[in-house]
Amino acid sequence: MVKIGIIIDKYHLENKVTEFLKYLNTVAEVSLYVEESYFLNYSDLKFDEDLFFVKAKGDLVLSLAKLIERETSIPLINCSKGIWLAFNRFLNSLLLKKAGIPVPDFSLNPIGVLPLFENFIIKNIRDQKNYTFNPKVEERNGNIKVSDERALMEVKGGKEHYEYLYYQEFIKSKWEYKVYSIGENLYFYKQLPILVNPDKMKSRKKIDEIQELREYALLAVKTIDLKIASMDFLQSSEGNFYLTDINSSPNFNYIKDGPKIIGDYLINQAKK
Amino acid sequence: MKIGILSKRTGNFTGKMKNYFEEKGLKVKIYTYKNLVLNDSLLENDFYILKSKKLFFLYAGYYLEAHNIPVIPHTEISFQNKNRIEAHFLLKQAGLLSPQIILGTAKTLKKHLKHSDFPLILKPLMSSGSKGIKIINSLKQINAQEEEVLYLEKIIVGTHYLAYFIGDDICVFEKKPFENEHANVKEIELPNDIKNILIKWKEKYNLLFGHLDMVREDNTGKLFIVDPGTFPEFSNWNCENDAVSLVCNQILNHFKRTKNTIKNNK
Repeated sequence: MVKIGIIIDKYHLENKVTEFLKYLNTVAEVSLYVEESYFLNYSDLKFDEDLFFVKAKGDLVLSLAKLIERETSIPLINCSKGIWLAFNRFLNSLLLKKAGIPVPDFSLNPIGVLPLFENFIIKNIRDQKNYTFNPKVEERNGNIKVSDERALMEVKGGKEHYEYLYYQEFIKSKWEYKVYSIGENLYFYKQLPILVNPDKMKSRKKIDEIQELREYALLAVKTIDLKIASMDFLQSSEGNFYLTDINSSPNFNYIKDGPKIIGDYLINQAKK
Repeated sequence: MKIGILSKRTGNFTGKMKNYFEEKGLKVKIYTYKNLVLNDSLLENDFYILKSKKLFFLYAGYYLEAHNIPVIPHTEISFQNKNRIEAHFLLKQAGLLSPQIILGTAKTLKKHLKHSDFPLILKPLMSSGSKGIKIINSLKQINAQEEEVLYLEKIIVGTHYLAYFIGDDICVFEKKPFENEHANVKEIELPNDIKNILIKWKEKYNLLFGHLDMVREDNTGKLFIVDPGTFPEFSNWNCENDAVSLVCNQILNHFKRTKNTIKNNK
């Protein structure tokens, strides 16, 4: 039986992978490495897994992933670099733009210095923790300013006390397009933007493949080095698509048969 | 030629570099937290000096390199020196020894560590130098918020050294354990093994200058690298030539070489 190691945190273990583990346990030998209870000693490690699947993005998770990559030949999905880039908004925007994928204008500014674009959304710089988007919308003189509670927390205090804000140009879009990528396979959905309806699943529907989004999504996962990902796109009034977010740890329960699709993909990718 | 310097401060080594370049007729602008905005306005300079490894200066470095503006030292190597896990692998790949690493939440560490594992040293994961480090002698001293992951290193008991290099010039000092670069140090004759380590490190990653903090273990005589750095203040440098002019000339020569290589490849 194939041996799969799952590197995960408590939040994902308790809330996101019940169905996935139920399926995976029927087809593979599963071992769990949980961030909050794993003792990582760099001088005392032995792994006999055929593949590791990373379903979290905390510091210990990334450190363990780096160790596995550098010290073993065991495949790891997603790789540490991909996870790191995916939660560093500024860096992934930079790389995606350089690769030719349309992303909204963005900048990192010290507090008090506004970006050059008028309509913007302030997002957290590092999207590493497990909490949800909590937007505050202000409309003044016809301009839209959206800020995320997490971004403001980063600036105001706590451990991650920054003096900068990440600004992304706000794209007004009727729909938000969600593309899941599992290996070469893509799954397309659309839903009302979260600012219109915070209950994103209420309006979510499966849609036919959009060729333009397919090209952007495949290039994006190649650029950021992700095997499993989800991507959010918005469409401007001129009809142009913009990639606004990329996530290395998507909730695959939202895809029909998602847990089985992921499980089968991992087994297929395991060390032969 | 226009040079940008990414630095926390405008004085100290940064200020001296600015003066040195300006005396040579070059234009220099220092970017600190107060005036650094990461957008196209940064593209006005020919190259940048990455003096600080703080997150936003690293972001600026990545931004500039993505726009084909040279950054010295390279952003990625500066980031890898700043992140202790990355630094561990850099040292390992160069064939150098570094202390044993342990990570976990406070609860996990308390469950797995034994009395004989102490003393350990607690360090911030993203840091270099002695800032934020703490010696941990017992389980009682391990305290953190529930989900916080702590990074610990096994303490190497022995003689501590601060070793600077700029090009082929090397200055080595004995220093008190866990003190920063600016503390009082004692100059020593350069031991061959330290010289070889510095050459290996410099050549492996094409470094123009930098420093390594190392400890010669009492029991084995082996040298362990406890802290690498890409851009120290060189506050204890006392070799024949002045550190500022050596560093600035290394940077200018490197930029000219890079520019010529780009020209020849076109």
